[in-house]
Amino acid sequence: MMSEETAIRTIGIVKSFAGVQALRGVDLAVRRGEIHALLGQNGAGKSTLVKILNGVHRAGSYTGTILLGDKDVTFKSPLEARAEGVGYVPQEIEILEQLTVAENVFAGQMGLGRGLMVHRRTINQRTEAIFAEMGLSIDPRSLVAMLTAAQRHLVMIARALSMRPKVLMLDEPTASLSGTEVDQLFAMLRRLRANGTTMIYITHRLPEVIALCDRATILRDGRVVAEIDRAEFNEERIIYAMSGQKLQRLYPHHEAPANSDVLLRVRKLSVPGRFGVNRGVSEVNFDVRAGEIVGLAGLLGSGRTEILHAIYGRIPFSGDVSVAHHAKSVRTTSEARAAGIALLTEDRKRDGLLFNLPVGGNITIGNLQKFAHHDIISRSSEKKAILEAMRALNVKARSPQSSVAHLSGGNQQKLLFARVLMNGPRILLLDEPTKGVDASTRHEIYRLIVELADKGVALIVVASELEEVIGLADRCLVVADGRIVDEFKRGACDEERVLRSIASAQAAIASGAQMETNIGVCA
Amino acid sequence: MNLAAHENAPASAGGFGNRMRGLLSVSELGVFVAVVAISLIFYAIAPAFLSAQNIRAIINFVSFVGIIAIGQTILMIGGEFDLSVGSIAGLSACVTAMLMKDAHLPIFAAIIGGLALGAVIGLVNGIVVVKLKIPAFIQTLGMLFIGQGLIQVVTGGNPVYPLPESVGDFGATRVFFGLGYSFVFFFIAGFIADFVLRRTVLGRNLYATGGNAEVARLVGINASLYKICAFVFVSVMASISGMFVMADLASGITSIGTGWELTVIAGVVVGGVSLFGGAGTIIGGLLGMLLLQVIQSGLVVIGVGANWQQIAVGTIMVLAVGLDLLRRRVFIGAHSKPTGGTGGAVATTEQPTLPANAN
Repeated sequence: MMSEETAIRTIGIVKSFAGVQALRGVDLAVRRGEIHALLGQNGAGKSTLVKILNGVHRAGSYTGTILLGDKDVTFKSPLEARAEGVGYVPQEIEILEQLTVAENVFAGQMGLGRGLMVHRRTINQRTEAIFAEMGLSIDPRSLVAMLTAAQRHLVMIARALSMRPKVLMLDEPTASLSGTEVDQLFAMLRRLRANGTTMIYITHRLPEVIALCDRATILRDGRVVAEIDRAEFNEERIIYAMSGQKLQRLYPHHEAPANSDVLLRVRKLSVPGRFGVNRGVSEVNFDVRAGEIVGLAGLLGSGRTEILHAIYGRIPFSGDVSVAHHAKSVRTTSEARAAGIALLTEDRKRDGLLFNLPVGGNITIGNLQKFAHHDIISRSSEKKAILEAMRALNVKARSPQSSVAHLSGGNQQKLLFARVLMNGPRILLLDEPTKGVDASTRHEIYRLIVELADKGVALIVVASELEEVIGLADRCLVVADGRIVDEFKRGACDEERVLRSIASAQAAIASGAQMETNIGVCA
Repeated sequence: MNLAAHENAPASAGGFGNRMRGLLSVSELGVFVAVVAISLIFYAIAPAFLSAQNIRAIINFVSFVGIIAIGQTILMIGGEFDLSVGSIAGLSACVTAMLMKDAHLPIFAAIIGGLALGAVIGLVNGIVVVKLKIPAFIQTLGMLFIGQGLIQVVTGGNPVYPLPESVGDFGATRVFFGLGYSFVFFFIAGFIADFVLRRTVLGRNLYATGGNAEVARLVGINASLYKICAFVFVSVMASISGMFVMADLASGITSIGTGWELTVIAGVVVGGVSLFGGAGTIIGGLLGMLLLQVIQSGLVVIGVGANWQQIAVGTIMVLAVGLDLLRRRVFIGAHSKPTGGTGGAVATTEQPTLPANAN
């Protein structure tokens, strides 16, 4: 450690919330020019540490020391942290849609010494310079509204870089990126590292750490439990350090029953595309049998989410969705629910949780008739069902009356599972069921999916991580540009084959039509 | 394992109802204490403030606007609001009066006519806001002006009287403590609305609709229908309120309801009903109405000019909303501004949790 220069270092950081210690003396040391992974489950203290480093939790609300280089620093606000050289790229895209790319990069520091006037040429040039450093080819003058989600994320990274940070913190930067976009992001981060930028990389995804990072600090229960060098990286070891237990097998065993009934039949399903967002879905046909887990593998924007939403009647579609023992074909959400279809949405904050209802109300909403006589809710039977559901899914909350805002991502996700399972669905559509949850909850969710399949539920799973789709699914449908381009059985499919079939399908389309916009990274 | 053991809210059966009270009792109790404290201060300055006559006057006025406030609270919990309620009250009152006096319809039929008018206006508001996606602020502000214009058009600007004697008699009837039927209706309607919100599927679905209409749709709630019905409900309540004032005055006067839209919204907001939907209670909303009325009346009694009353009401409304936001931030968490942070905000304050017991 003495031989290497330290870019940022914390010594004995202790932070409590309402008497509960979130951090119990954290020592973190990040060397200059490295990509340092910060790992830990939800609730381990990761986000608390990040918030101290970027000034959200102000100096005085914690004890301990932060050294930036050799300098003892205290931040009273995020603004001060930025000015001192700690850059931060949040997980969610915070961007001003109606402004240009350059204006977004320099948001908050416009004018640049020329009073109140925005000096467009200066910020355009400086943005171009930053993009050149990042290896991007986005036009600084274009409107952000025209960019893809991945490109917007890159603009946020550029914004943080515009302050010439000594340390750049990236909070789950790949959360909303697809496979190739992740590769391109990594290429860019490696390039920044080669230019001497120090980075702290916060993530749940271990393969990314192994692919990208130089060192990792692992937090558990507010303490540093391990500091691992690249040479010693190993998924098992990191999972062990994060969870304090050895996970035996990443994906539980499941075999689809041989000749069970077809529960869901999808024929000629088409969804109109939205310009600049996706190409929609064109004439998709497939069946799902009872007890079968079908995975939809595809990139972001391939149409995989639209297929789920159409089946649930959330978006208008043409074609036919029929359910066994249900005469009428399904067109609307209420028909889908009546036919026994349930959907777990991808974005918990936007279309999952109701923040104005407590934990219990969030579980029972939509199924209240089960606990009601003449529309009047029986409090005792509702409470009983809530407690049963919380127990069955291991939702850790102080009580059914707690606020959902305070739950960890994993517990929020299990709560939403409890909600969609309350109605006893026969067909379950899961969109990114493990997004933003910690490793052990992820495992719980895998087990739950397999248990449901064993009980005869037909499941369709969509996930950005191909490995997850492949690991879970009995049968994989590969979706590219709104069509099913390939199909594999369990065992016959690996990530490489899926990617190859996507690539060949896209190449076939590209030869006929203009390809969709590239993320903009020059290799 | 007893899940409720750690809960600091008063322990009893009932998940959601308890929770809402646990959350909102702070503001309800706060408003109640403010009502009592401010009343005592006015009483100390001018004992006439707590005279039977003044109390009666306050309760009478709160009954009229409170009938609308019940509807407005329900609409606001559903995530919308209506600025046209004052115009609707005035228009329904005048039209009902004209149906009796000029069209010589039986009283019962005239009332049905007035209610139907209110319902139609509410339906228009609801459909335009929900289906055409015009913001409620614009649509109902437009309806406020349209309503005021229509009042002048149909009445020619003149009061409508005399009305049949029985109308005046009904308005003058005192049921108890010198309070009329308007108070009785207000009390019963408030009681039923409170029960519906607290205990029924309808009420809970309305909270869900106001909390996040998209989530409500996904769990099978017809959010659009709930919102449209809430618009119709507040309009009908406004019509009823206007008719009670008409009976009280024994004539249809064009100024009925003027300015009430803001009185009502200010009152329920002071009582903790959220302008952003999904939060609030009937009791809170009505206590807020009472607080504003107590202050206005008190300032009159101690001899403060009318202009200062308005300044006081405006200040209190901003303070009340400010306090409410502060309280939410401190006690509930930062969810009211979902884009405001690192995305990891949820994990940091997690308490030591229950023993895992599922595996």
